[in-house]
Amino acid sequence: MMSNSELFSRRTALRSISSGFGYLAFAAMADQQVRAEKKTDSAAPGPLAAKEPHFAARAKRVIFLSMRGAPSHVDTFEYKPQLTKDDGKEGKVGRSRGRLLGSPWEFSQHGESGLWISELMPEIATHADELCLLSGMHTDLPAHPQAQVQMHTGNHQFVRPSLGAWTLYGLGTENANLPGFIALNPGNGTAQHFGSSFLPAIYQAARFGAASGRRNSPRRRRSSGRQESVPNIKNPRLEADLQRLQLDYVQKLNRAKLRRDVHQPEVEGVIESFELAFRMQDKVPDLMDLSDESEKTLELYGVDGSATDQFGRQCLLARRFVEAGVRFVELSHSNWDHHRNLSEDLPARCNEVDRPIAGLLADLKRRDLLKDTLVIWAGEFGRTPHAQGGDGRDHNNKGYTTWMAGGGVKGGFRYGATDPHGYEAVMGKMHIHDWHATILHLLGLHHEKLTYNHAGRDFRLTDVHGVVAKKILA
Amino acid sequence: MKMRSHPFLTGVLSLSATGLLLAQDQEVAPSAEEVKFFEEKIRPALVEYCYKCHSADEKIKGGLQLDTREGLRHGGDSGPALELDKPEESLLWTAITWQDEDYEMPPKKKLPASVIADFRKWIEMGAPDPREGERVVIKTGIDIAEGREFWSFQKPEKRKAPVVKATDWPHSEVDRFLLAALEEEGLTPAGDAGADVLLRRLYFDLTGLPPTPEEFESYGTAWRRDPVAAYRAKVDELLSRTQFGERWGRHWLDVARYAESSGKETNMTYPHAWRYRDYVIDSFNEDKPYDQFLSEQIAGDLLEVESDEDWQENLIATGFLALGPKGLNERNGRQFALDLADEQIDVTTQAILGLTVACARCHDHKFDPIPTVDYYALSGIFQSTRTYFGTINLAVSRRGTKLLELPVEDEEPMDTMSAREMAFVKERLSEAEEDLVEMERTARENRRTGGNNNAQQQILRLRRTVTTLRARLNGVDSDGVAKTLAMGVQDYPRPVEPTVLVRGELDRPAQEVPRGFLQVMAHEETPEPLPPDGSGRLQLAQWLTSPENPLTARVMVNRIWQKLFGQGLVTSTSNFGTTGKAPSHPELLDYLAVRFVEDDWSVKSMIRELVNTKAYQMSSEFNRGAYLKDPANALLWRFTPRRLDAEALRDAMLCGSGEIDLERPLGSMVSRTGDTVVGQRLSPELLNRQVTYRSVYLPFVRDSLPESLALFDAADPNLVTGERESTNVPGQALYLMNNAFVLRRGDVMAQRLLEEAEETEEQIRLAFKLTYGRRASTLEVEQGREFLWSFTAAAVKKGEEREKAESQALGVFCQGLLASAEFRYLN
Repeated sequence: MMSNSELFSRRTALRSISSGFGYLAFAAMADQQVRAEKKTDSAAPGPLAAKEPHFAARAKRVIFLSMRGAPSHVDTFEYKPQLTKDDGKEGKVGRSRGRLLGSPWEFSQHGESGLWISELMPEIATHADELCLLSGMHTDLPAHPQAQVQMHTGNHQFVRPSLGAWTLYGLGTENANLPGFIALNPGNGTAQHFGSSFLPAIYQAARFGAASGRRNSPRRRRSSGRQESVPNIKNPRLEADLQRLQLDYVQKLNRAKLRRDVHQPEVEGVIESFELAFRMQDKVPDLMDLSDESEKTLELYGVDGSATDQFGRQCLLARRFVEAGVRFVELSHSNWDHHRNLSEDLPARCNEVDRPIAGLLADLKRRDLLKDTLVIWAGEFGRTPHAQGGDGRDHNNKGYTTWMAGGGVKGGFRYGATDPHGYEAVMGKMHIHDWHATILHLLGLHHEKLTYNHAGRDFRLTDVHGVVAKKILA
Repeated sequence: MKMRSHPFLTGVLSLSATGLLLAQDQEVAPSAEEVKFFEEKIRPALVEYCYKCHSADEKIKGGLQLDTREGLRHGGDSGPALELDKPEESLLWTAITWQDEDYEMPPKKKLPASVIADFRKWIEMGAPDPREGERVVIKTGIDIAEGREFWSFQKPEKRKAPVVKATDWPHSEVDRFLLAALEEEGLTPAGDAGADVLLRRLYFDLTGLPPTPEEFESYGTAWRRDPVAAYRAKVDELLSRTQFGERWGRHWLDVARYAESSGKETNMTYPHAWRYRDYVIDSFNEDKPYDQFLSEQIAGDLLEVESDEDWQENLIATGFLALGPKGLNERNGRQFALDLADEQIDVTTQAILGLTVACARCHDHKFDPIPTVDYYALSGIFQSTRTYFGTINLAVSRRGTKLLELPVEDEEPMDTMSAREMAFVKERLSEAEEDLVEMERTARENRRTGGNNNAQQQILRLRRTVTTLRARLNGVDSDGVAKTLAMGVQDYPRPVEPTVLVRGELDRPAQEVPRGFLQVMAHEETPEPLPPDGSGRLQLAQWLTSPENPLTARVMVNRIWQKLFGQGLVTSTSNFGTTGKAPSHPELLDYLAVRFVEDDWSVKSMIRELVNTKAYQMSSEFNRGAYLKDPANALLWRFTPRRLDAEALRDAMLCGSGEIDLERPLGSMVSRTGDTVVGQRLSPELLNRQVTYRSVYLPFVRDSLPESLALFDAADPNLVTGERESTNVPGQALYLMNNAFVLRRGDVMAQRLLEEAEETEEQIRLAFKLTYGRRASTLEVEQGREFLWSFTAAAVKKGEEREKAESQALGVFCQGLLASAEFRYLN
């Protein structure tokens, strides 16, 4: 591995070259530099160096759109005509009883594939032929915290590395100047969703926009040209070479501590995060500045000050990140827990994400990135076909729908199904472990071979479970 | 066939006897003749043939309950019993006529033909059922007696420490429990930690601050004379410092989800929450017995007191129940009240009992033996309690309440308005009120004439002004002196007997249940029934703090253990239920719980006992063999190294620079800002303003914690936080490298070094003591010098004056130490 001073000189060289180029050209060069480093110095690759997958990957990167609170599948992506027919009747719902609530929204067929999609997602529906709907999903528990943790780590009982951390561990990153795993707007109390657990600390997500929910008030957004910037990204006093001197000294102290402590993964994490932070200072401000995007592009994502603005920005940032070589980006959108007020709140939530997501798919497609970018849309579980309080739905972990697009999945395809009312998965059943196995497979990773030895035992994301859903592979 | 109106089409709302029930299916009342038929033919038949398996008093097989109209219509697991538009296909009909092999009812003997004929006639009449108001009864599928078998519901027993082989190792009983477990696994404990390492650990654990260089030196002297005596004396000294309460009070504030704003959609400030914060800190400093501490928080307003001061303290304590997150924009007042009670149940049971009882709101607890009826029994206690949390009512915030006016005035009032200021506010208020009346008139006229109606925005703005100014005036007495207000609770005059709600839904009431506690933890001292003239909170407090309660003491000693040893004996510190983790040392946990109660619930005694153990004083030295056997260090073969938490990190920086202000500030930044929406007057800039008092006094508002806390995993006050996260992300590195707060601390620390030490070498040595709490090695001094020299040279080369470059170098050096791993971690 290069020493820090060598790294620095390479960086200065690149920076001077970059002054005449656009940002992406620079990013691509940094990318090549990393690959070159990998080839010439493969004996000692850094933990983030790009690695070969187990077999030919269909997807190189992931954008995970996490819908926190669990959107209703029977009102969005799972058409249940029988439920509509049986509206008001009593439905079989396991131990409890309930009056069925047919979706108040119309479903219609879209694209050549004729996938049925609800009127709540009109723009995503225009990409029907890209979507692979997974309608046989199920998970262990109908409780938000556990289900969210399980969706991210496979295990709701113990602290385990998250899907993104495993991905980064398996594949490394394409751009050493950026975190390989980024969580945008992750929300409070979600550290476990993005954590690395026993994997080295460097594989956990860098969380952007987490410190303050209100930092990006509309007023602030308008007034600053640099939107959604990362706090503390620039030292107000020191130029980079002087700061590098300081950092070299700090790292010397850190390495000495690591030597004394013998085994201290957290200190290793400190050392690596300093290096990454140092490199990020250079890259991130440009990357997060949307001012070089055309009006048309902003419009495509719904970045227009309306209800779609916030998630639109996130989607656009996600595209910029993956384009720059970030391996795994997760976006979060909250408030999908519609026990009440379904008829007003669900359309509002759908409206906030529909255009941004459609924009993202369109943009990835036109940049020829969709073919090897896996876009995943999922809540932590689904909702009951029966009503709660007349205008709401309860939690349902037994059957629900998520979808994937791009990255080697069959488009215009529905895999699996729930019973006629949408309560329980009956066909093409896909547990979270299967879902994880399939995602890793698309990334060229064998879920049984992607292991990490922790305390004498090989751990994997899927524990002892997981079946790849081969039928959804394009 | 004559059909009655479809029950789902005529959703007329009606109030039931309790004034709460929204009837779902209001249908045409049965005629006298129909009622007669039902009472003479159908009811007796149901009672005779069906109730045995399908009624609230017997069993509810297959989820089918036939003793109420709702139950019969609703049906069971197989669907509705009656289909009024397809009577022939009704399950009730096919079952009693034995048409379906799987559903032949009654199963043993077919009904007499005459009864079947009566049912046929009755169904043809449209199944008139006069049993209105006979409610659905929720029954539980939980076997309480069986649930009680789980370890955590068994009363802790006094245990004797086991025999160990290495008899010279243990200092105490606790050590023997630990050592026995290690020996069983063939593991040996690590050696003793060095004096410096142990001192730094002890200081941070007990006070959240590092030792000063003077303390470091004087302890070293005492330790060389008599290490054991020096250590024990230091423990006692630190326990008696006010900084102890600030450290341990913060741990409780994590658990109590303390915050100074409502969070959720509106996020209004709670300007008086700080009184609870100070109460908690003072309670830990006084070593208030934990049972009393809990009683005050649950029922302080109901405890007997001898002085106004005591009463004041007890009232403030009930802020525990008042300062949770709230959805202030909820339109339905009843829903809000139930959600409030739910949040109170959640925090009380998680914080004190380590149980997630709130999961039982909609259905029996999925994992623990807590039936829904228990939830509502508890909910009744809180529904009979009025919560005073303040907040002003704006368009987006409609549920504000009054605050408690305290009996004793503040010595230093929070806010005093001069006569001039008061006159000014009054004038502005009356102007705004007049403008509002005027604007509302304009709006009405515009509406009538169909004219442009942009007056609405103006009205909202004026209403906001009026509300805010009124709140400001209400906060002071006639002399302009701020009233002493607090958040807290009081009993309603008459308690509510709670109604169980089907799946927690407001409009689906089931039976009433008496107020009460959790059946699985009923013990001899459980009062039953609760008195009719109070909410029952006093009895709840007594029940929680009874020595018979199996969880309260266990949960607290485990919390204390976790803060001192890095992980709990039960690692899921707020979940002692079946989905929680089993204790690593069950007998030790029992031993500690019993001892805690015997020692009059003294938190300080418990901490003293634990830090005086040999185990606490072990080094954190790594041991590969032990690691492979026990990677999580659950058995404590060494001391677990850990990170300083957010508050300790920030405070330690201020200690390094010598700026820390150990005085408690009056109130908080939030109280000085007053009632507002977080993000408006209480801006991110204000929340992150550089101040030098201890971190526990920083503004702690939901979803907008100061960066110095949020980045380093401070507790999210939307949740009960027993264990904090420990993330390691580049955002933290960026903060330490670039944030103005950290840069400033480096500068001030450099200034201090220049003032307190003359030679560069001495400055470097002092810097190491200030940050790492140890002496610098010769090599480290040399490396420090080299850094200062090379940085200065580089800066000079860039055109900086030598003197300036040198002083900058020293600041950068200090900041570097504050950012480094050794400063941020405890060994």
